[in-house]
Amino acid sequence: MRQDSPASIQSRLPLLAIFILLFAVILFFRLWYLQVLKGSYYQELAESNRIRPIKIRPPRGIIYDRNGKPMVENELTFDISIVPEDASYLEESVRRIAPVVKMDQQDIIELIDAARPIRTKYEPIKIKEEASWAEVAVAEARQDDLPGVIVEPEHRRHYPYGGLASHQFGYIGKVTEDQKRKLAAEPGMLIGQSGLEKTFDKFLRGTAGRRMIQVNAAGRKVKDLGIEEPKPGTDLFLTLDLDVQRAAEEALGTRAGAIVALDPNSGEILALASHPAYDPNLFPRGISPADWDRLSNDPSHPLYNRAIQSVYPPGSTFKIVVALAGLNQGLIDPDEKVNCGGSLKSGRRSFRCWKRGGHGAVDFHRALVESCDVYFYTMGDRIGFDQIAQTARSLGLAKITGIDLADEKPGLIPTPAWKLEKTREPWFQGDSFINSIGQGFVLVSPIQAAQMMSVLANGGVFYKPQILKRTRNRETGEERIYPAQEKHRIKLNQDALDQVRSALIGVTTEAGGTAHGAATPLAVVAGKTGTAQVIAQKVPGRKLTESTEDHAWFVAYAPADKPTIAVAVIVEHGGHGGAAAAPIARKVIEEHLKHAGTKNGQ
Amino acid sequence: MLERRTVSNIPWGMVILVIGIAMFGLSSVYSATYSESGISSLFTKQFIWISLGIIVMFAALVPDYHTVGRYAYVLYVLSVFFLILVALVGKTGMGAQRWLPLGPFAFQPSELAKISLVLALARYFAEDPRGGGYELRDLAIPGAMIAVPLLLVLKQPDLGTALMLLFTSSLIILLAGIKFRSIMVLAVAGAVLASAVFLVPPVRHKIWTSLKPYQQKRIKAFLDPSSDPLGSGYHASQAKIAVGSGQTTGKGFRKGTQGQMAFLPERHTDFIFAVIAEERGFLGASFLIVVYVVFLFVGLETAKGAKDRLGVLMAGGIVSMLSLYVCINIGMSVGILPVVGVPLPLISYGGTSVITTFLAIGLLLNIRSRRFMLFY
Repeated sequence: MRQDSPASIQSRLPLLAIFILLFAVILFFRLWYLQVLKGSYYQELAESNRIRPIKIRPPRGIIYDRNGKPMVENELTFDISIVPEDASYLEESVRRIAPVVKMDQQDIIELIDAARPIRTKYEPIKIKEEASWAEVAVAEARQDDLPGVIVEPEHRRHYPYGGLASHQFGYIGKVTEDQKRKLAAEPGMLIGQSGLEKTFDKFLRGTAGRRMIQVNAAGRKVKDLGIEEPKPGTDLFLTLDLDVQRAAEEALGTRAGAIVALDPNSGEILALASHPAYDPNLFPRGISPADWDRLSNDPSHPLYNRAIQSVYPPGSTFKIVVALAGLNQGLIDPDEKVNCGGSLKSGRRSFRCWKRGGHGAVDFHRALVESCDVYFYTMGDRIGFDQIAQTARSLGLAKITGIDLADEKPGLIPTPAWKLEKTREPWFQGDSFINSIGQGFVLVSPIQAAQMMSVLANGGVFYKPQILKRTRNRETGEERIYPAQEKHRIKLNQDALDQVRSALIGVTTEAGGTAHGAATPLAVVAGKTGTAQVIAQKVPGRKLTESTEDHAWFVAYAPADKPTIAVAVIVEHGGHGGAAAAPIARKVIEEHLKHAGTKNGQ
Repeated sequence: MLERRTVSNIPWGMVILVIGIAMFGLSSVYSATYSESGISSLFTKQFIWISLGIIVMFAALVPDYHTVGRYAYVLYVLSVFFLILVALVGKTGMGAQRWLPLGPFAFQPSELAKISLVLALARYFAEDPRGGGYELRDLAIPGAMIAVPLLLVLKQPDLGTALMLLFTSSLIILLAGIKFRSIMVLAVAGAVLASAVFLVPPVRHKIWTSLKPYQQKRIKAFLDPSSDPLGSGYHASQAKIAVGSGQTTGKGFRKGTQGQMAFLPERHTDFIFAVIAEERGFLGASFLIVVYVVFLFVGLETAKGAKDRLGVLMAGGIVSMLSLYVCINIGMSVGILPVVGVPLPLISYGGTSVITTFLAIGLLLNIRSRRFMLFY
């Protein structure tokens, strides 16, 4: 036999054939035994399969602030449910449970019928959520009389501070058909539908466990076979500071508006507020249609996250952009004086300064400190809006900031070309005037304004506005830290920056400054007021129901020499920025500085 | 390359048999994953996998299997590389790291390791013929070739695949020819090792604690099913109820209460046979076994008709691997073997497993199509 002939191997193939045949015969006889000989026995077992897996929903991850104070938690509650397959006489069970849960029999039947087509077999149907202790006790004690009725523990989402930061947390709701498929969520599960609850749903959700119970032929629970504990969702530690957030919202009070506070050295968001707010505690029980209608049709839009979704004319805060554009280009000479006589003419139109009598002759510093409109009309016209728009964009305006919350709005920075395309009208000198003081077409969101101040404070670094600081797996204690993400840097002319910064300090400290209300003994605050006229909202054909009072802005950072916080405040129809918005910013800054030495969220 | 003569020699009967089993499997996956909310996306995915698999099967026909043999070591090294990669960056599932994320899909390198180890061993023994059988020392290199992926898979840990690698390689070594004395030595060594593991408490303890909790549970449950009514004891007893209650003719397509009511876990993957037995009964289940036997015997015929050592060893190795899959999977479903995660070839849900199975069968077809060719 040749050595490389295959014959020797082939001679051993029958071994393999015997192995296969032998095993097939064994399997054949085993099947014969199970299916034919013992078939009816197993058939009986299958029919009376008395083990019921009951899903246990996992508790969602807890959301903490940067210092580990819980902002969103869970509460253990009990639901009374029914498994129709286990109720030998469903009507009888319903008749008996109805008085216990104080419900109408017919209502319970309707609940069951409505749930049937969308459930899997043996999935319990909830008839009473958050049952009282008395109801639970009766339902448990009368197990024998109530075939098919079970008590299910549920971890219900709870927001201890009610509406506080409600837009940031968002809300949870029943998973929709579409989400079931896309997100691999289980039917009936409550998942994040907006805000952080949605963005980080993957972390927060956890994994369901199950409880195996054995029931007898009548569907009564005989014993617990065991429990496979659910895996709780991952806990989130936010960058938000509960104290600063609370100070911000208290300062805003019942007025509509938004506040954004962030750390210019990392982009971490310290407070993010939007008013009016809603109570997210309405949602974990499944919000009632009436409540939902009320929230979604409320003309004050309480579901709207104004901090990132609303864009406003920035008013005089926009003068910072014009100042930087002019200084950078050498088109503004800080020593040059412009005479403000209270108004400036363009063609036949006259554009007024907010100070009726005029500021007299003002240089750059005085003009920014006192927010002289005529000075910025003049400079805006000189610089040209193409140039200003470019600077505005480089400061992050007209672009979303990339925060981990959905539906951020980019706002708008106009250019002559844009206007021509949009309105079929050329750009007039008057457009340069009014847009230079943040009126007209310019639209900015509060978070963009805060980001701009942060960039000014740190000398040109753009960070991703960060709201998640770290996550913690509750079971293993494993932590994951999300470090600051620098997106890019812009080059700012140091001289220009120094000029602007010094004027911003003047705003809160010098005689004639527009925001003495922002001054605090704790630190020097650099800031800028804005008072945005609401005229633009008088859309023809729409009835003017809202107040025409001006929007009040204040943007700032502090301490001026070594900033640790950048803030933007807007109070809708609040009136003058210095009077309405600056004191709010002061409270936020003070609350932050009070703790800055003792805690840093590490 | 593919010549006309080769094309005309493609065993179409075998191709039809294979596609038939796959379609039968697809219908079972449909039934096992169907829920009241409609057809599962798993079914759609499995359909795509099988379609891709059939393409892979025909693609595997194109190069001469000697060419495949030339690349066997490259494939082997590649699969070891993937196994190392999965240990470093893999996705975790069921307490073990087995998947490599690949876009929207996950790729399971241990499945690739099975086929590539078969090919590598086939080439090794084909090129190193020994008239009177291999001595133990001749097995040093193939032993190392087996050990590397085996240990990597064991580390994941995936006991089922590790056992598959071990059994398949053992069958290939037996086919390649090993001296009787060597078998005896190995058997004695194995016995000593096994008794050391079971009888020396510190060693036993060490090994026991190195297992993942779910593996400990599975072993305990096999020895005493009532110890774990929730875990694998539950799987095994529910599977037995499913199979038994199918009786002679079965409960009918999508009528199996065990499978449909979700008493049966892993019903579209490892326990799909139980769903089939429940819904199609003894007649359907035993028919499936007969079809598998026919298929495996055609595979053996292929090995018998191969013209050289490489062909015989490749075909024999592939048949060994597939028979082990079939036997262990079904054995587990009917409760005569412990629960280890082994898919039923061509039927269980799972992308990587479907593709590699079709690849293996494509190679069988390849060898069979070239059985009349003359080399040299």
